[in-house]
Amino acid sequence: MPNDECRLTGTQPPADAQSTIDNRQSKIPRVGVFVCHCGINIAGVVKIPELLERVGTMSGVVVTKDYKYCCSDPGQQMIRDSIKSDKLDRVIVACCSPTLHETTFRNACGEAGLNPYLCEIANIREQCAWVTADKDEATTKACGIVRTTLTKVVHDQPLEALTVPINKRALVVGAGIAGIQAALDIANAGYEVVLVEKEPSIGGHMAQLSETFPTLDCSQCILTPRTVETGRHPKIRLMTYSEIDSVSGYVGNFKVKVRQKARYVDFKTCTGCGACLEKCPGRTESWFERGLVRGKAIYRLLPQAVPNRPVIDAKACIYLTKGKCGVCAKVCPTGAIRYDDTDKFVEEEVGAIVLATGYELFDATKLGSYGVGRVPDVIDGLAFERLLSASGPTSGDVKRPSDGKVPKKIVFVQCAGSRDSTTGMPYCSKICCMYTAKQAILYRHRVHDGQATICYIDVRTPGKGFEEFYKRATDDGIQYLRGKVSKIFREGDKVMVWASDTLAGRKVELEADMVVLATAVVANPDGVALARKLKTQIDAHGFMTEAHPKLRPVETLTAGFFLAGCGQGPKDIPETVAQASAAAAKVLAMFGNTRLTHSPTTAEVDEEICVGCGYCERTCAYDAVKVDPARKKAAVNAALCEGCGACAVACPSGAMTHKNFTKKAIFEMADQF
Amino acid sequence: MATSRSSTELLEQIEKLSGQTVSDCYQCGCCTSGCPIGEAMDPPPSKAVRLLQLGEAPELLDSDGIWMCASCLVCGTRCPRAVDYARIAEACRVLVLRSKQSRVDPDTVTGPELEEIPQQAFIAAFRKSSV
Amino acid sequence: MTKYTYYPGCTLYTKARNLDICARKAAEKVGFELVEMPSWNCCGAIYNAASDDLAAQVGPVRNLAKASQLGDKLVTLCAACHNVLKRVQNRLDQPGNEVESERLKTFVDEKYERPVKVLHYLEVLKQEIGWDNIKEKVTKPLGGLKVASYYGCLIVRPKEVLEFDDPENPQVMDDLMRVLGAAPTRFDFKAECCGGYLVVNRRDVAKSASKKILDNAKAWGAEAIVTTCPLCQYNLDKLRAVTDGSIPVFYFTQLLGLAVGLAQDELGLEHNAGDPVGFLKSKGLL
Repeated sequence: MPNDECRLTGTQPPADAQSTIDNRQSKIPRVGVFVCHCGINIAGVVKIPELLERVGTMSGVVVTKDYKYCCSDPGQQMIRDSIKSDKLDRVIVACCSPTLHETTFRNACGEAGLNPYLCEIANIREQCAWVTADKDEATTKACGIVRTTLTKVVHDQPLEALTVPINKRALVVGAGIAGIQAALDIANAGYEVVLVEKEPSIGGHMAQLSETFPTLDCSQCILTPRTVETGRHPKIRLMTYSEIDSVSGYVGNFKVKVRQKARYVDFKTCTGCGACLEKCPGRTESWFERGLVRGKAIYRLLPQAVPNRPVIDAKACIYLTKGKCGVCAKVCPTGAIRYDDTDKFVEEEVGAIVLATGYELFDATKLGSYGVGRVPDVIDGLAFERLLSASGPTSGDVKRPSDGKVPKKIVFVQCAGSRDSTTGMPYCSKICCMYTAKQAILYRHRVHDGQATICYIDVRTPGKGFEEFYKRATDDGIQYLRGKVSKIFREGDKVMVWASDTLAGRKVELEADMVVLATAVVANPDGVALARKLKTQIDAHGFMTEAHPKLRPVETLTAGFFLAGCGQGPKDIPETVAQASAAAAKVLAMFGNTRLTHSPTTAEVDEEICVGCGYCERTCAYDAVKVDPARKKAAVNAALCEGCGACAVACPSGAMTHKNFTKKAIFEMADQF
Repeated sequence: MATSRSSTELLEQIEKLSGQTVSDCYQCGCCTSGCPIGEAMDPPPSKAVRLLQLGEAPELLDSDGIWMCASCLVCGTRCPRAVDYARIAEACRVLVLRSKQSRVDPDTVTGPELEEIPQQAFIAAFRKSSV
Repeated sequence: MTKYTYYPGCTLYTKARNLDICARKAAEKVGFELVEMPSWNCCGAIYNAASDDLAAQVGPVRNLAKASQLGDKLVTLCAACHNVLKRVQNRLDQPGNEVESERLKTFVDEKYERPVKVLHYLEVLKQEIGWDNIKEKVTKPLGGLKVASYYGCLIVRPKEVLEFDDPENPQVMDDLMRVLGAAPTRFDFKAECCGGYLVVNRRDVAKSASKKILDNAKAWGAEAIVTTCPLCQYNLDKLRAVTDGSIPVFYFTQLLGLAVGLAQDELGLEHNAGDPVGFLKSKGLL
C-alpha cells in the first residue's frame, strides 16, 4: 500500500489551518469543563459543587457545568449549547473512562463546530470515584485530574481523521466449522475470501465427531453440505495444507504470505480415485484417528474430504525417506505423484482477517496419574468419537484399543485437566459435560448391556435443550458419580479407577474395561504461535482476546483482525457458528464502507532534528516506523501507527513526537502533581 | 472436645499452621479419590475440609481421620486447587497434641512384630501422635 | 575418587544394613566414596509441617550445619532422612525465608557455613556419575530381570521442594535398573503410599495399602521390586510375608551391588524376608 493513497490530512494541515492554530495558541483559551455525576457513581463520592467551584477558578476555564448523565441527549446538548453561547474553543468532560464515551463527546463537539480533538476526557470515575473512599480526598483528586487535563487541552491542536481505502477481500485462517461458516457468510455477500487450512482437507474437529449434542444428529451429515459448498464456492479461494507465513500492512490493506506445504500430489491432475491409498506401504501416526490406528504415508483425512485429494507425509513416505518404493506413482492412473514437490509461497492481499484457529485437546499423557500412554484402554474424548463414528477405524463399533474387545463397562472421567490451577487450565472447558453425556448415551446405543459411569465435579448444562439431554442420560441408566478421579491404573485386563462419591462422603474404586477422559480444551498451539506472530493479544492460556468481553466479542484490539470459534475460548458448535457469523458480519460492516477512518493522534517526525538512529523503528510494535537508510530520516506510516507513543519515548533527540501528546504538554501535566 | 476455643478461632489456627486456605477447596473430591488409605480414613480428606468450610472444626479435631493421614502428600500433589490436605491434618493433630492429648500412647503399642519394624516408624508415629 | 559427605541415619545402622553396606561398597566400584559425617544425629524421621513448629527442625538443622562445614553437598540414602533434610534445607536456603532461616540457625551451636545441596544417592548416580560410567562398571548384568521400581512418597513429594523426578511417574530408578541389565516393568503404583509409620498402630491399614502396590507390580509382570526406603521395604517385604509370600523386595543398592560385582555375603540378603538367595539363584544371578 503506497502511503500517498492515504489522505493524510491530519499529518500536514493546510497552510491556512496552520495560521488558525497559531491564532488559537496566541490568544487566551476558552475552556468549558462539564462534570458528569454518572448517577451516584461519581456524585456519591466526589463533592460536585466544591469541584465546580475549584475548577471555575482555574486559568482558562470560562464555564463549568454539571449534569446527572452527560452522555444522555440533554447532557450532550448542554455541551453543544455551551460551545456556541460561551464561545468555547476547548472542552473537558470530567466523567468515565475515555474508552467508553470519548467518541460520544468528541462527536458532540464536532456537531457544535469545534474540532473533536480539542475535547478531552478527565476520567474521574474509574481513576477517582471508584477507587477512593474518602469524599474530601476524592474531590481533591478529581480536581487534580481536571487541572492536569486542562494543561493538556490548551496544548491540543485541531486534527483531522485520516482515511485509508479498503481492499474488500477477506482472509479466514482455519477451516473448521468456524472458519467455514465465516468464509461462506462473507462469500455469500459477494466478497472474495481466501480460506487457509493447515490440514489437507477442511472440516476441522467437527469432521472427527460422531453425533452432536443435544439432538444427536450426525456430525458428518450436517457438516458436509457446508464443506461441499465451501469447496465449490466461486468466491472462496481454498488453500489447504497451507499455513500463514507472514502478515504485513494494516487494516483494510494487509499483505499475507501463505506457505503451501509440499503435497507431492498434483491436485490438478489427481482425480481423487484413491488407488494410491490402498497400495501405500508407509505407515505413520494418524492425527485424525487420534492414534487408534496407524495411518498411511499417502493419505486423505476422510472419505468426504474436501478437496478430495491425498497428500504424502514426507516423514513416513518410504520413497522420500529411503529412495525406493514409488508404489503410489506406479498405481496412479493419471501420473499425479510429484516426489520433487517443494513448499510454495503465495501472496494474497486482503482487507480483513478472521482468525478461526480452533482448539486441541490437552495432552493427557501429562496427567501422570491417569495412566495415558501406560494403560492402552485409557483414551481421550476425540479418540472415543472416532470409535463411535461410522467413518472411524472400527466403523462405529465400540472396541477397545488393547485387544479389540467390546467394553462392557466404561468410566467417563470429566475435568481431566480442566478447572485445575496446577495444570495451567483453571477454566471450565465448557463442552465436556454435554459431550460426555452424549458419548455415554451413544455407547449405550451401541452396546445395549454396557454400563456407563460418569465421574464429574459439577454437571453444567447452560444451553438450549442441555438440561433435558442430561436427564435423558440419567433416564438411560447412566450412573453419575460426583467426585474427581485421582488415579487410573491397570489390573489384569481391567482398568481400575480411583474415584469418590462426595455426596456419600467416601472413596470408590471402579473396575472398567475402558476409560474415556474428557481432557481439557486448549487453544490450538499453531493458533497461539500465529497470534504471537501477528502480535494479536492472547490470554494467559493462549486463547485470543476479544476487544471487549461483552460488547466487542468478535473483534480484537488490532484493527482488522476478527475472532471466531475455539481459538477465542472453548465453545460448542452452535456457539461457534454464531460467533463465526458475527465475525463475518463485522467484516461485511467494514466492507460496506469505501474508506476507513483512522485516529490522527499518531506519531510524527521532525526531520530537521532526526538523525536516523533507528531507536523508534526498533521500538515500534506495529512496524509503523521505518528509517530511510539513504536519507537517514525516520518516517511514520500513519495508517499503521496505533498512537501508543513508544517511539516518542525512545527517541533520544526529541525528533519523534506524538500528536496532541507533545513532551512539553506531558511535562507540564506532570508538574501539576 | 480437643480444645475450648471457638470454631472460628480453631479455623484461623488451622489455616495459619497449615498455610492452607480452606475456601480454596471446591469439593471435587480428588483427594478422597486418591488417598491410598481413603477407605480407612473417616472423614476422608474432602469431607474433612468440608467440615472446616462449614465451621465444624471441633468435629474434625475429634475425628479419627486426622490421625490416619501418613503425610504421603498425594492429595496435595493432585489437588486442582493446590490445597494440601496433609498440612491441614498436621495442623489439626498439632492443635490436639498441644492441648496435651496423645492419640497413641507408646506404652500401649505392643506385639511381637515390633522387633522387626524399622525404628524410623516409631519415631515418626510418636512424633505425629503423642505428646 | 570423588568423596561425598554421607548421612546414613539410624535405620541404616540397624535394620536396614542391607541398604547401607551395598551402597558404600557399590559406590567404590562405580567410582565415588561415601565419607560418613562424624557425630551426626537423628534427622527426626518425619518432617513436621506445622508452620510454627521450628523446634522440630533443630535436629536436621544441626546435621545440615555440620555438613556445611565439610562441603556443599550431603548425600542421603534413606528416603525418610532425605525428605526431612531436603525440606529443612529448603527452609534454610529459600529466598524470602531469611527471617525464619536466621532463627533456625540460632538454635544450634554449629555454624551453617553455606547452602548445602542435599543429594539422594540415586541423584549422585544419575547427575554426578552418569549412567554411561555406571554401565561400564557392570560386570554381572541382571539378565533382563523384570523389576518394578517402587519410589514411595518421600523422595518424590513435595515435588517443588524435592525436585527429584516426576511425582506421578518417576524414572530414575527405572533408568538405573536398565543400566544394570534389568528390564523395568511398567507400574502404576511407583509413588503410592505403603502406609508408612501407620504400621506401628494400624497394621491392617499398612497391609492393605502395601498389598495394592504388590498386586499392581505383579499385574504388570514384575518378578521383583526395588525400593530405597527402609519403611517401604519393611511394609512391602516383611509385612507382606505375613500376607502372602510372592515377589522379593530388594533395595536398589543390593541389585546395584550385585551388578557391579559385590560378593554374595556383601549384599546383606539375610536381612530380606523370604528366600532372596534362592530367587536370585533361580534367575542365574548368584
